[in-house]
Amino acid sequence: MCKNCKLKPVIKLPNSQISLCKSCFIKYFERKVRKTIRQHKLFKKGQHIGVAVSGGKDSLTTLYVLHKIITPQKTTKLTAILIDEGIKGYRDETFEFAKKVCKELNVPLKSTSYKKEFKKTLDQILKKNDIKPCTVCGVFRRYLLNNMAQKLKINVLATGHNLDDEAQSILMNQFRNNISASARLGPITGIKKDKKFIRRIKPLYFLTEKEIMTYAYLKNLATPFNECPYAKGSYRGEIRKLINDFDKKYPSSKHAIINSFLEILPILKKNYKQSEIKYCKSCGEPSSQETCKTCKLIKEIK
Amino acid sequence: MKIKVINEKTNKAQEIVASSITEIAQKLGINLEEVIIVRNDELITEDTKLNNHDVIKFLSVISGG
Repeated sequence: MCKNCKLKPVIKLPNSQISLCKSCFIKYFERKVRKTIRQHKLFKKGQHIGVAVSGGKDSLTTLYVLHKIITPQKTTKLTAILIDEGIKGYRDETFEFAKKVCKELNVPLKSTSYKKEFKKTLDQILKKNDIKPCTVCGVFRRYLLNNMAQKLKINVLATGHNLDDEAQSILMNQFRNNISASARLGPITGIKKDKKFIRRIKPLYFLTEKEIMTYAYLKNLATPFNECPYAKGSYRGEIRKLINDFDKKYPSSKHAIINSFLEILPILKKNYKQSEIKYCKSCGEPSSQETCKTCKLIKEIK
Repeated sequence: MKIKVINEKTNKAQEIVASSITEIAQKLGINLEEVIIVRNDELITEDTKLNNHDVIKFLSVISGG
């Protein structure tokens, strides 16, 4: 029974093992997002927030909750951004769903594609090149998201990253001895003062995949099971299994990874101070090196 | 108890003899952290009591990409 009102529960919270009914869970979920926004100062009233949407449950839940939160703040603006990577049988379905949700919420949706910007779909790139799918896809997507956000005069860009994603990234960086990458994690990332680099925010940072799927199911934001054909057998997938198996045996481990990480994050940020931002000599976009990763990849791929 | 479990990907039903959701999950090798459970279009928790001939579905919470 629900801990508060004794109604039928819809979830047993992964961290506390407390059961909540539909209405108490929705309140709990939205309160958690509001708290994350407030405590980590994700955005201010009157700003223009972009939401990177893929059509999956995480990004659509981010859009839905942010829309609910900012609607009373009449000056805050929301725009959804969608990047079509060109993955046949996967992205086309979620794309349609994202369009539908944006229409229902009356949130403008701006989109572009790898085909339009790089002249090739991800499927075409991977057919001809022996490269890791998630690497090239991630580099291109982040590049286009930042580029579109600039053009749309967006102040911060929200993504659907959740507690599970973050715990996986932390362990992955740990296992690969890549702590400098962890210094760039957290609920808000990116360089504070750069007119070309749009900061990223993660409103669902403290919510697990299970909580998000529950919310998405209750709000009709969950698409039928759909898996990226290139994600199979990824390193992240193995880490996810490891964490989930461990968390089943020792509950709250996942939350402990995040909470202990947030304690050391300020030290990491201090130790790995980002070097001054450069601008790519061929495209002018922000980069840590002379030529940005996107331009390097474009040159490399056939 | 005989419980019908619908496979999310194939939509095919499989009959499992079990007395609880935990037992079904164990038999099918499902980690309950990675799914939500649906019975008659309603979400239920892993400690919900099952009835004979219940039809349930596990929906994966893992995002696609």
